[in-house]
Amino acid sequence: MTSLDVSTDAARRPFPGRRARLGDLLLQGSAGIAALGALVLVGLIVWKVIEGARLSISTFGLSFVWDVAWDPVRLQFGAGSFLFGTVVTSISALILATPIALGIALFLSELAPRGIRGPVTALVETLAAIPSVVIGLWGLLVLAPILRDDVNPALHSVLGFIPLFGPAGTYGSNVFTAIVVLTIMILPIIASISRELFLSVPGELKEGALGLGTTRWEMIRGVFFPYSRGGVAAAMILGLGRAIGEAIAVALVIGDGLGIHVNLFDLGQTIGGKIALNYQGASSGLETSSLIYLALILLVFSIIVNIVAQLVVRRSARRLGQAG
Amino acid sequence: MPRDGKLVRISLVTAAAAAVAGVAVFTAGTASAKSSSASVGGAGSTFVAPLLSKWQGPVQQQLGLQLNYNPVGSGGGVSAITNKQVDFGASDAPLSQFNPSCSSCVQIPWALAATGVMYNLPGLANINMTGSVLAQIYMGKITRWNAPAIKKLNKQKSLPNTPITVVHRSDSSGTTYNFTDYLSHVSHAWKSKVGTGSAVSWPTGEGEKGSSGVAGAVRSTAGAVGYADVYYGLHNHFGLFKMKNRSGNFVRVRAKAILSAAALDTHPAKDGSLSIVNPPKSKKYANAYPICTYTYVDVQKHSANAANIKKLLRWAITKGQKYGPAIMFEPLPKSVVTFDKKQIRKIHS
Repeated sequence: MTSLDVSTDAARRPFPGRRARLGDLLLQGSAGIAALGALVLVGLIVWKVIEGARLSISTFGLSFVWDVAWDPVRLQFGAGSFLFGTVVTSISALILATPIALGIALFLSELAPRGIRGPVTALVETLAAIPSVVIGLWGLLVLAPILRDDVNPALHSVLGFIPLFGPAGTYGSNVFTAIVVLTIMILPIIASISRELFLSVPGELKEGALGLGTTRWEMIRGVFFPYSRGGVAAAMILGLGRAIGEAIAVALVIGDGLGIHVNLFDLGQTIGGKIALNYQGASSGLETSSLIYLALILLVFSIIVNIVAQLVVRRSARRLGQAG
Repeated sequence: MPRDGKLVRISLVTAAAAAVAGVAVFTAGTASAKSSSASVGGAGSTFVAPLLSKWQGPVQQQLGLQLNYNPVGSGGGVSAITNKQVDFGASDAPLSQFNPSCSSCVQIPWALAATGVMYNLPGLANINMTGSVLAQIYMGKITRWNAPAIKKLNKQKSLPNTPITVVHRSDSSGTTYNFTDYLSHVSHAWKSKVGTGSAVSWPTGEGEKGSSGVAGAVRSTAGAVGYADVYYGLHNHFGLFKMKNRSGNFVRVRAKAILSAAALDTHPAKDGSLSIVNPPKSKKYANAYPICTYTYVDVQKHSANAANIKKLLRWAITKGQKYGPAIMFEPLPKSVVTFDKKQIRKIHS
């Protein structure tokens, strides 16, 4: 859902000053059609989603976005609870995953003994290939009881003064469990892209820094991070995109609660989760339409996140005078 | 440029995964939608899915028909038959509950079953429960196992001070319809604040996907309560409440108790619906289990595949019934079978 803009003027005009040949024309044409196809597809999806949501839009208007009720019996629908759940789970997962992922990437690119780099890298990338429903089931059956019985009460007793870590209830499925599951899911994405970025740091820069007498940490802070800032930001955006859009793994472990709660150990729900759970069984046209309205909100939300992210990447790239 | 190579590789993997998923969805869709001469395809209720999978073999052998079933949930089944994507839709809630509904369909009650309420209290079997106490638990009014209201029903047992963790379905489900229909019958507060539906706005409790999700949460949480179809609860060795019926007896959910409840409504309404939850006080229903339900098959009156559909349905309501009891689907009463035969005659090509 996120595109990395690495094109430059030179890349846009591959054969400057040369007459186009048939092969080049064909290439340009077919590539153009492919790009146009993507555009048409997005357009069709947006159009269909707006059309499907029309009934709900005309019934609830814009207040649907922040209304927290969801009652299929009384036909009262609102996205507030789920929008809140989506924002909280995806951003928290990003905050948790980024430092760990950068640690993994540094270890694998710089610190680990050569012999174990290959196997560990393969394992981290395997983690990215595990289907989300499998991670969700593991989260429900294995992770949730452990978090509930051991981790959550410990967090509450140490950090209980922060409202986020309120009383740990008896629910195994809750917002915190969902955050941990999402963290595990986006970790390999950020880690493996960051590893590639760190590997591409030119050797001369590293050697130069070390030659000036810096410690390894100073070299990492002074050379690695500035050099790959834009790329790491892009990797984080990919991870965030995955977290925002993830449906089934979250739906299995978040407990399907309504309302806006500060306590992370409370029940919650995300937009993706709600759609995945209820779309097939919706019992009224208005419920179906409201679920599609949710999809529209998710679409708009991810577009906004994407644009903001592009701006961030571009700004940090410009500051460094290079892309990536 | 290792970086670019990596990005290309990632997007290739994603594209391949998306393509595989797309093909899977497409084939699943066409498998149930296709109606060749020797097959009947349906979609809907997950509640009735175990019975349909028991039927697949005998239907092939005895009728020479290929029976395809896609358990997408009752709502999905109703919308599939309304849009004529399948030969039949299966739903636990009557058609009248759906909007838009299928006005050109006939509704046929074709299976009889019950919902069990599971709990996780090690060492305590056969706990007694009433509908009104259960409603208060599901409204978050009663939160501990040793609450006076529960103690009063189980005087001979020593109930722990464990908190009650309420578990319900998070996806739309016919089991939820049956369960909330019962709670609406026994509790005014439930009826006015929550109501009956295949998905409701739950006042409390953890939502889990599917019977397996509910069972998983109940299994891993001491003091949890959840509901699922009876067979699921029995088969997985959960403790199930003995529910008090209106004749004042605490009834364990067994075949006899379901059949006794079925005697309540043996003559379907004009649209084919029947309601047998919470039978009234009477000698006839002394042993009736109060959370029982019929589940329905919905078929378009005009269908190109009518001959095969009728063959399947006639078999299902007669010979097919004997495959039910092993998985806690009880045989239909005679008057319902008679009614069903009349309904089946309305289907033609």
